[in-house]
Amino acid sequence: MAGLEEDGGAEVVIDTLFDPSGAAVMSVSGDLDISNAASLQAAVAAVTAQSPERLIFDLSDLRFMDSAGIAVLIGAAGEVSAVQLRGPSPVVRRVIELTGLTGVLPIES
Amino acid sequence: MDSPAGVVRATASPGGLAAGRIIGDGTVRASTRMGSVWRWRPTRAAGIAFLMGIVVTVALALSSLALYHRNESRLLGLRVRELGLVLTATVPSIQTPLASAAELADATNGSAQKFRVFMAPYVGPGRPFASVSLWPLGSRRHAPVAVVGAKPVLASLPAQAHKFFEHAAHIRTLNVTGILNPAHPSLGYEFSTPGVERGFAAYAENPLPKNRRSKLESNSAFSDLDYALYLGRSRRTADVLVTSLKRLPIKGRQASDVVPFGNSAFTVAVTPRGSLGGSFFQSLPWIIAGFGVLLALAAALLTDRLARRRQHAEQLAGVLDRVATANREMYTEQRSIAQTLQHALLPDALPNFEGLKVSALYVPATSGIDVGGDWYDVVEADGNKVLLLIGDVSGHGLRAATTMASLRHAALAYAAQESSPATVLARLSDFVNRGEHDYFATVLCALIDVNAHRLTVASAGHIAPLLLAGDDANFVEFDVNVPIGVARKSQYLEATVSVPSNATLVAFTDGLVERRGESLDVGLARLRDAAVGQHVALDDLLAKLAADLASEEHHDDTAMVGVQWQD
Repeated sequence: MAGLEEDGGAEVVIDTLFDPSGAAVMSVSGDLDISNAASLQAAVAAVTAQSPERLIFDLSDLRFMDSAGIAVLIGAAGEVSAVQLRGPSPVVRRVIELTGLTGVLPIES
Repeated sequence: MDSPAGVVRATASPGGLAAGRIIGDGTVRASTRMGSVWRWRPTRAAGIAFLMGIVVTVALALSSLALYHRNESRLLGLRVRELGLVLTATVPSIQTPLASAAELADATNGSAQKFRVFMAPYVGPGRPFASVSLWPLGSRRHAPVAVVGAKPVLASLPAQAHKFFEHAAHIRTLNVTGILNPAHPSLGYEFSTPGVERGFAAYAENPLPKNRRSKLESNSAFSDLDYALYLGRSRRTADVLVTSLKRLPIKGRQASDVVPFGNSAFTVAVTPRGSLGGSFFQSLPWIIAGFGVLLALAAALLTDRLARRRQHAEQLAGVLDRVATANREMYTEQRSIAQTLQHALLPDALPNFEGLKVSALYVPATSGIDVGGDWYDVVEADGNKVLLLIGDVSGHGLRAATTMASLRHAALAYAAQESSPATVLARLSDFVNRGEHDYFATVLCALIDVNAHRLTVASAGHIAPLLLAGDDANFVEFDVNVPIGVARKSQYLEATVSVPSNATLVAFTDGLVERRGESLDVGLARLRDAAVGQHVALDDLLAKLAADLASEEHHDDTAMVGVQWQD
């Protein structure tokens, strides 16, 4: 949906598609941190405005995520009843574990 | 007074007023346009380029012109010598018949009959002479004894004839005279046999054009020249025999040559009627000048354009630089305001407790204008216990800072009622979740039993603190639950650990360990490595950790709070 390069050099690419089951899948790739979390926030807002039943964050190509990225995911979890993460890397998974959010942001089985 | 007059005029001739308005409008527009033309000034570089172009052009044109003139003069010199050679070649054709006739007359004692017969082929139209006559020398009165062709003009001028023949009697070469009277201008040639007393002179005459003007025939080899032929070696106008020019002396480019002719000489002077080298070479300097000026103009325009682009780029760079400076100043100012606010919201000084030293450190981010929502508190709890709180509100800026203030005061209020960390967090969570909110906060709450060397910890999404004891450094282990502000499905859980003597507990926010592109575990390991084995005062330890971990590029604010048992 949008390729954005923000101040600080971190680059995140966000692609959104709606699969036939009605779930929105947002693929977030690159590095997500405080310098570009706002662009994901905007993309998430555009998706949640359409009230999808499920929102899946495909993080399989996300190398890094900091607490600012977590904040966006938590915000999405508050808006959509079912939010799931797809294929988070160990780095991303660790952030979620350390923040006690494994229950709020479950990993798709 | 003015107003009624104006009305009258307006009613009387609306057309005139309208025209006046149009003219007025036109004038304004014209002056604006003139103004804009007037404002256009070529850049200095363009001016220099144009001047250089003109200088080169002028130099080339001048050298071309000089070359042309030198060439023309050289050609003219060659032509006049050619003309001189042609004239020299005519000497024998005049001298030979006259010399022969003079000898014949001496031999025949002045036979008019023989003289006429001999000279007849040389006289007449298309032949060398117009008139030939035989004159006896030595007599007091000079008159021809035989005449072939027209009557010689000299015969009608006794004084001049006398003088001429008296003089000629002593000269043994071809003798030339110009009879330059206005009525019948003629050129006379005389030859008398050398060494003969009372001999005869053969005299020939050719008329000159009355106004002495004669153009060369257009098919002549010299038709590209104007000329003047003088009798003698000088170029006095009085001595001119024939010329193609209306006015003498010759002006402008000219060349002359002296051609010996009998006892006298002809001086021939020529001037070109056009360009001898061809019209192309004549116009070459102008062609060079024209092209040079055009090239100089083109170079000037090109330079002007380049110079303007450069000026524009420099101006742009200047503007960008100013904007950047202004931005930097604004940024610094904003950041300074936000930092001031945050410092105002954080505790001024932390209390010290018996047997427990307390210290905290706040490290702002190296980039970004927004401050974080990090905070900490260390307060006394019941029964010589100390409650440590550290938190980090998601987001940045004024909003995060004010949210932090609200959370901090709520947490302090709950801590005053309750000393169980899990309960404090639960109440804080309920407090936040009751209202509308769009933030979350990680909070660590630790109850420190100083005397019992015991630590009870609960975490709402917050990273575990580091416990240093002797040469060991370990993160306190506990079950972490969701951050404050996130709907929780379960209770916050506490973990209680025993603390060795002289242990140090360091709680911190994620800015200390979080680095782009690496796992949090790497940052945590870095922190443990930096802290392990550091037997230094608490303040120095925090400063060292900040220097080791937060000195490099980090985007987030960092708060650290440490307690140290003083056993």
